[in-house]
Amino acid sequence: MSKTFDRYASIAFLLIGLIVVIESQKIPDSAYGSAVGPKIFPMWLGAILLILSLRLLYETFKYKSESAAKENFQYKKFAIILIGAALYAFTLEKLGYVISTFGFLLIAFQTMERGRILQSILIALIFSVGIYYLFSEFLGGSLPGFPTF
Amino acid sequence: MSTLQFLADGFAIAFQWQNLLFAFVGVIIGTAVGVLPGIGPMSGVALLIPVTATITSGMPTSAAAASSIILLAGVYYGAMYGGSTTSILLNTPGESSSVVTTLDGYQMARQGRAGAALAISAIGSFCAGIIALIGLVLLAQPLSNVAIKFGPAEYFSLMLLGLAAVSGLAGKSMTKALMMTVFGLILGTIGIDAVSGIARFTYNQPILFSGLEFLTIAVGLFALGEVFKTVLERDGEDGAIAKINRIMPTKQDMKDSAVPIVRGSLLGFFIGVLPGAGATLASFFSYMTEKKFSKNPESFGTGNIAGVAGPESANNAASGGAMIPLLTLGIPGSGTTAILMGALIMYNIQPGPLLFDEHPEVAWGLIASMFIGNLMLLVLNMPLVRVFAKVIQTPKKYLLPIIVAISFFGVYAVQYTIFDLYLLLGCGVAGYLLSKNDYPVAPLVLALVLGPMIENNMRRALTISNGEFSIFFTKPLSLVFIIAAAAWLLIPLLLKLKGRAVVVEEEG
Repeated sequence: MSKTFDRYASIAFLLIGLIVVIESQKIPDSAYGSAVGPKIFPMWLGAILLILSLRLLYETFKYKSESAAKENFQYKKFAIILIGAALYAFTLEKLGYVISTFGFLLIAFQTMERGRILQSILIALIFSVGIYYLFSEFLGGSLPGFPTF
Repeated sequence: MSTLQFLADGFAIAFQWQNLLFAFVGVIIGTAVGVLPGIGPMSGVALLIPVTATITSGMPTSAAAASSIILLAGVYYGAMYGGSTTSILLNTPGESSSVVTTLDGYQMARQGRAGAALAISAIGSFCAGIIALIGLVLLAQPLSNVAIKFGPAEYFSLMLLGLAAVSGLAGKSMTKALMMTVFGLILGTIGIDAVSGIARFTYNQPILFSGLEFLTIAVGLFALGEVFKTVLERDGEDGAIAKINRIMPTKQDMKDSAVPIVRGSLLGFFIGVLPGAGATLASFFSYMTEKKFSKNPESFGTGNIAGVAGPESANNAASGGAMIPLLTLGIPGSGTTAILMGALIMYNIQPGPLLFDEHPEVAWGLIASMFIGNLMLLVLNMPLVRVFAKVIQTPKKYLLPIIVAISFFGVYAVQYTIFDLYLLLGCGVAGYLLSKNDYPVAPLVLALVLGPMIENNMRRALTISNGEFSIFFTKPLSLVFIIAAAAWLLIPLLLKLKGRAVVVEEEG
């Protein structure tokens, strides 16, 4: 539990609540003039979220931050895998399923643990080709195939 | 038709070859999901929804729904079996409802009785599964007959109760749990309003017109959240796995665990039926009960077999019990059942009182398949326990990237949009950050599923009453639900104020 995180989170959710309340005002009322149009529900929710965030903000001033033991985060690995995954999403339709999946898996395997490159290539290849053929040939689903240049 | 006739029809559906296969695949994958650390029943079920959706795509809708839900439910209760394996062999629970199993199960393993502990937990889980199913068969029809008389006001209050129950027990801070619930409800309002046809919070982005996809959010929050957590905080070295010597329990073991199994099953079932109180609470309470009833309570924690038999039965019974409110009322009481509900809705099948009338083959087929699935689990788990113990050793190096790839595949195969993949990644990061800081994500997913229904029922009720909110308080049943919802939120709060420890449900 981190006090700083809670504080930032409460402010973030406070803003979300506020935006929802303001933006829900722009939703037009129901055309047939019913008492309960489409904007009431989100407006209330926004207001409740706002109140709860204020409550959390207030709570962060009350409790003492737990002096968490310094954890050893592997930011570098995480960053590579996250960016790799984003690139995977970006290239999925452009390069096709097999190539992008193979690329992502190979990078991710090697990021998790260097070495055994042959084994990594083999597993990445079996997975990407296997899933593609199983899904699109055998089950008749559709995945982006190979790029056509 | 009588309940027995319906059940017989259900068995006819469950015994179709493809459904037997689906149940089999479901329980196998479920056991693996339970055994693999870093992937729990919620992420397991969520990951498999798109896969089953494609496999069943050629079938008629309700047959496809029946087959899919048979597989997904198999994953759910299979994971409850599998979770005990790592608790006993590694002292690390595979999912949170197996936490108490580590207390005595691991001690038994250290004394060379790992096989007996695993066997007893499989036998206990089987008995619990059967007891829960008998309860399900007996209660399903009467409950849905009651629920069918509900009007929109009653439904609104009942769903409110469901949300309150899940938020009241989730996480360490109720403020945070409620925030997550409300945030989930807000996310559920994105898209075109079903009643008036007006777009809300879409900002002219066509991709948002149909709303945020529940599957993307669930897979992101649970599966990717767990992956990111493991990548970031490497859990240190993997522990040594205890050896399994003999598998069959001795006569004395059976005698010692028979009563705890029955007690655990009954307790677990009733806890499971309550919304919000899931398998973790059930196993915890069962452990406390066994300790209380035991002649030598000090032996608990040193390898008492009753400490394995009771909780393991309870957590399986609870997962069976949790199917009752889902199927009869359309109210998922836990994160995993919320995901199962989302899967049914994807097939245009609305769980709830009408389910038994409109889609008896789905409801009764599922119930019957759970009998068969539990039997499969027992038969499989006794001889295959050594094989499943090997699954634990799957290197994380390969496992984690593959989970990412499976979730990408799953989301893309159903949605066909890159937008959902980015949303998936965002939810993964959010899921990690939120659950690390005690913001429970299960209420968020539950709220996302229930949100549109809550709103529609609220608006229908208010239209009937000409905008008078008193309708929720003047209908007696609705009032009862609202009072219960308030009590569910306030009682833990009062207990906390009095300085009592409140049990927290970490996972559904």
